[in-house]
Amino acid sequence: MSRELTIWLLIFAVGAITYTARMSFIALFARREMPPLLAEALKHVPAAMVTAIVVPAVVFLPAGVLRLDFENPKLIAALVAGAVAWWTKSAVATIVAGMVVLWSLRYLMG
Amino acid sequence: MRAHFSRTAFLEGVRDMSPMLLGIVPFGIVCGVGAIAAGASPIAALAMSMIMFSGAAQIVATQLLAADAPFAVIVLSCLVVSLRLLMYSAAMAPYLRRLDYRWRNLLSYVLTDQAFAGAIQRFRASDDLAANASYFLGTGVLLWSVWQVSTVVGIVAGQVIPASWQLEFVVPLCFIAVLVPLLRDRVSLLVFAVSAIAVVALDAMPLRLSMVCAGLLAIAAGVAADKSTGRFGHE
Repeated sequence: MSRELTIWLLIFAVGAITYTARMSFIALFARREMPPLLAEALKHVPAAMVTAIVVPAVVFLPAGVLRLDFENPKLIAALVAGAVAWWTKSAVATIVAGMVVLWSLRYLMG
Repeated sequence: MRAHFSRTAFLEGVRDMSPMLLGIVPFGIVCGVGAIAAGASPIAALAMSMIMFSGAAQIVATQLLAADAPFAVIVLSCLVVSLRLLMYSAAMAPYLRRLDYRWRNLLSYVLTDQAFAGAIQRFRASDDLAANASYFLGTGVLLWSVWQVSTVVGIVAGQVIPASWQLEFVVPLCFIAVLVPLLRDRVSLLVFAVSAIAVVALDAMPLRLSMVCAGLLAIAAGVAADKSTGRFGHE
């Protein structure tokens, strides 16, 4: 299967998932209450999944090597960005701080 | 359809959502950049933003595509990140019950993290269904339009900006801005820790399943912790 075809199939498959999830309780089972265990589990989805997306992008260097020391510029940039996110609650400030730290460290480390 | 439309409320929704755009624009740009980096054509990259219309699902899909994960694993991973939409749908549902099905289908399409956060307060505060629905539509239409425009900027930027700038690092940075405010109690810190450790420990798993497995483990840990501390069932 060609890359482009795979991507188009993916767009429709995932599009169907996101739309179904959005209309689930609004249109499909509008008269039903959500089961309590499901409601409880859903509360944790954002923190669980966002962490699983962020951490590998920060701790693995391109070759797939785990680097948890301070010679990994992405790790330092992410920690600084995390602190900025905590203090400012601003997405733009977080991104700017993280990229500036990353570029500076790359420049300093050569 | 028209019976429920209030132009004034629609414009209020647009106005109130405008400050949120600051966080949306870089995220949309990143989705465009990511799709191009994963080998999508510009048209497919834009279709992703129009049809999936979910930053988290788009990022997961493009990152796993770039890592050559199997189709089924990409779909499963996107399914898990999209589960939170069920939560928004359930919270919105009681307020939308009396609306025409066409309105409900339309409003479902524009239900996003930001539109939900913006509109739910209005629905809780007022009983004017027509005005509330129009307000929600206003926030959704503005977000949708800005999302598409930022994606196009990202598609262009992704083809022009050299790889040495490491623009792809904007993806984790965007998510750090989303993640940090979520970590405000012990249970969410536990969820974070379990997910972080598991995703690294499971990295050697075949088929790029580590992301979705780590996420599910962390969700289970969160539910177990809530039960053991007696918080279960309380907000």
